[in-house]
Amino acid sequence: MTEPDPAHLTLSGVYFDGRTSRDRAATLEVSGGTLVLRAEGEPETRWETAQLGIDPPIPGIRRVLKFPGGARFETGDDAGVSALEARLGRNRGLGRVRRLESRWGTALGAVALMILFAWGFVAFGLPALARTAATATPDAVLATFDRETVELLEGQNYVGPTRLSAARQAQLQRVFRQVTSRVGGSSPYRLLLRDGNAPDAPFALGANAFALPGGTVVMTDQLVRLARDDRELAGVLAHEAGHVIRRHTLAGVYQGLGLSLLTVAVTGDLVSAGTFAAAVPAALLRNGYSRAAETESDEVAARFLLREYGTTRPLRNLLARLETLDRNADEHSVQGGSRVEDLLQTHPGTAERIRHLRGLEEQARRR
Amino acid sequence: MTERPDPTVSPPLPPGPPAQEFPREATAVADLPTAPTVTAHPMSFTGQSGEYFRIWIVNIALTVVTLGLYLPWARVRQRQYFYGHTWLDGQNFEYTASPLALLRGYLIVGAFFLAYTLATNLQFQGWEVVAGVIGVLFVALYPWLVMKSLRFLAVSTTHRGLRFRHHGRSVGAYTSYGLANVAAVLSGGLALPWAWFMQRRYQVENAAYGSARATFRGDVGDFYVIGLTGLAVAIGGGVLLAVPVIALLVGLGVLGDFDVVGGLPGPGVIAGIAVLYAGLLALYAVAWQYVRAATLRLVLNRVEVGGVVRTQATFSPWRLVWIGVSNTVVQLLTLGLATPWAAVRRTRYVMSGVQVRSIQSLDAFCADFTPEESALGEAATELLDINLGF
Repeated sequence: MTEPDPAHLTLSGVYFDGRTSRDRAATLEVSGGTLVLRAEGEPETRWETAQLGIDPPIPGIRRVLKFPGGARFETGDDAGVSALEARLGRNRGLGRVRRLESRWGTALGAVALMILFAWGFVAFGLPALARTAATATPDAVLATFDRETVELLEGQNYVGPTRLSAARQAQLQRVFRQVTSRVGGSSPYRLLLRDGNAPDAPFALGANAFALPGGTVVMTDQLVRLARDDRELAGVLAHEAGHVIRRHTLAGVYQGLGLSLLTVAVTGDLVSAGTFAAAVPAALLRNGYSRAAETESDEVAARFLLREYGTTRPLRNLLARLETLDRNADEHSVQGGSRVEDLLQTHPGTAERIRHLRGLEEQARRR
Repeated sequence: MTERPDPTVSPPLPPGPPAQEFPREATAVADLPTAPTVTAHPMSFTGQSGEYFRIWIVNIALTVVTLGLYLPWARVRQRQYFYGHTWLDGQNFEYTASPLALLRGYLIVGAFFLAYTLATNLQFQGWEVVAGVIGVLFVALYPWLVMKSLRFLAVSTTHRGLRFRHHGRSVGAYTSYGLANVAAVLSGGLALPWAWFMQRRYQVENAAYGSARATFRGDVGDFYVIGLTGLAVAIGGGVLLAVPVIALLVGLGVLGDFDVVGGLPGPGVIAGIAVLYAGLLALYAVAWQYVRAATLRLVLNRVEVGGVVRTQATFSPWRLVWIGVSNTVVQLLTLGLATPWAAVRRTRYVMSGVQVRSIQSLDAFCADFTPEESALGEAATELLDINLGF
């Protein structure tokens, strides 16, 4: 058993010579720098402590001492081996790990640390990383992204050529130039007017507008017709320009990539029930990110509208009309949905967005 | 002591379903005093979920704090806990892999994996070349990586001071993991059980304890029975599941109001999709867990080591399926915190149903000279989720 003085101790255990699977009862006597091993039916063997290998401790398992040539001595006397370990200065790092592992306090601390880390990473780390990566992405890549996306949209007939008159098109291009010059940003802005109800489309885009990362903004004829005046369309275009400036689309791609890498890392595999199950929270997170992006772009649009027209009402009205698809609707026609519905939506609920835009206007008025 | 005893001495163990072997063996021994005595050594697992939980969470936290560099140490400690708590005939197993060797492998494989993911997701200039080269390299090297992994895993496992070994060679790996998988795909899954058979045979036939080689007595028909049972579970369950869900959707009359432009589909559709999704997930899990459990049991009942030792499994595959599925549910509900409990629960059940039957004392095996094995294959199988079958 353990001696109080680690320089002299006797351990009892099992000996294996490394050549056969035969186990022999044995004792190992340590005195100073010398080890004497006595195994039943074996001549006494001597080693120096320097030749000794001590395996790091694992809770609840016999300690293993290894000798040159594959021989080993296994003992349940953990205290004795630990004392020897301490004296020889072996396994310092993993010895500390073992002390952490043996306490419930540190285990609960580790749980708390993991929760904190996961929350911090998802809430701040990943968006920040994605933003940085999006900002660092060269413009040439963005231009390629835009070109290929437009090719895909047109090639697959998601959009058709616009049916607006040439004069109306020119007028909208003027509005767009005015918006982008005020909103700022260095992107090569471009407005594409397209038909959102192309005859062969896999599904109808309808009244819609969206921004590609390189500065291309696509707006459908249906949206143009839904608007009552160009101030409303200017509001939408400012919102889309906001996506471009903040590089939301690209950041979204990076965030999705980060989330799927994280899912693989956490569940440990690529295709399994665990990964599919993890896809649901990942999708909700993705929605959360895009809601944050919508709010940010609404704020860009609000700044533009407040400076140009002193009100955010045009965008509020158009949002309401988009929601109801009723040309006669205005901002008061939209009721707030339930919280669950809000959570499941990609965009913030329209009622919520309208409230936010109104709040921004009141804030500006108070100043 | 010789590892390959004289065939005339070697006892023909009675064939037949393993669950019945015990009583029959007892009478056989009683009736024929000249036959060698068969000793059954039960395997046991002494790990505790509370104890393992602490090891697990502390090592994960250390991995996170060190930005992943500690990962090999964490994996080795977790595996050492499971090996060390697995007992056979009074002695435990030991996992002896060097974390540093694993780290090298992790870094190499991780770099390739990251490059491939970035290339396919971001599609930067020349991404097709990067992704293509890595993809071709992976497909071409896959059987070789499996072989390296099996060899590394065997050399890293010790019992009674002797290492296990795997003598698998490239030719066998490319046949059983390359050719067989290609055949399984080309035949539309018809050859899949044959591929499983080839792979298990490759794993077992090349395994050795010390200098005693293992042999595999299974045949391909057994694997077809397992595959067909799994298929029957999937199809039967799918029909049982689809009928009420479709009835529900039709009954609610909600199939028509799926409106993409209007944004959200109705709550009825969402509920239906959720039920269907969860059901299919459970079904997939059940079928797959069954194949896994039945294969494990089959293989364990068909292994012979050095002509003197046979492994025997008496656990129930369906009980193992239940454990697997309920484990997954509990893990999901506890956001992964029950993972250590689940692993201990499964291992304890499997080990309580595994015996080693021997006509010779287990302390009479001899060592074999074992060169070190590279950990690259092991790292690849772990990081890329290459399934070795158990």
